[in-house]
Amino acid sequence: MPERTVTVASSVGLHARPASLFAQAAAKTGVTVTLTSAAGKSVNAASILGVLSLGIGSGEEVTLAAEGDGADAALDELVSVLETDLDKE
Amino acid sequence: MAENQTPLTELLAESSIRLDASASGRDDAIRQTGQALLDAGAIDASYIDAMLERENSVSTYMGEGVAIPHGTLKGKDSVKQDALVLLRFPEPVDWDGNPVSVAVGIAAKGNGHIAILSQLATVLLDPEKAEALRTATSSDQVYALLADEDA
Repeated sequence: MPERTVTVASSVGLHARPASLFAQAAAKTGVTVTLTSAAGKSVNAASILGVLSLGIGSGEEVTLAAEGDGADAALDELVSVLETDLDKE
Repeated sequence: MAENQTPLTELLAESSIRLDASASGRDDAIRQTGQALLDAGAIDASYIDAMLERENSVSTYMGEGVAIPHGTLKGKDSVKQDALVLLRFPEPVDWDGNPVSVAVGIAAKGNGHIAILSQLATVLLDPEKAEALRTATSSDQVYALLADEDA
């Protein structure tokens, strides 16, 4: 199963607006993506509540995993979302 | 999990839990939430405008009848100290088409509130706990839900 490990760039961590934008982007890929925190807790990346429940701070590492057609493209896209400081805009 | 988390009762004072609020609409609910933050001494009044501005750019509706209104990044200058407030609307407020029973207002300079927000999301992922929060009638019930040991 394709996986990517990425450091969260958003200065406020993965909550509030960045979490919302990330979950929307995950839903839009049409692929089921799993987000796992460094502490080992996994959620559906397209669930805003799931993403928020991980309480991921800025600079923390997370792992994304997906299966099936389009998995690699979806992961590449979501990695670029996480590498952007979404709260800067 | 944030290491520098602030204790729940310090962030969310008992006097900042208002369980029988009523609002005519989303913006009224946001202003009342902002007023509660103002009453708590957490913000300058200008933060309330920043909360309305944020809501107009991205909805803070979380799901399960809960919204978390807060200011824009710019509005951080109006924050005097980190604080949360919780308003419950027994008669749900129309929040961009979603019925909102609970609004958790956030004023934050740092990241001390993140652990509590992640606990709030964990509560909302559990339908029974979400229902318990929407129908809470005492601040003790609110504290018990948000202080869950999973935090």
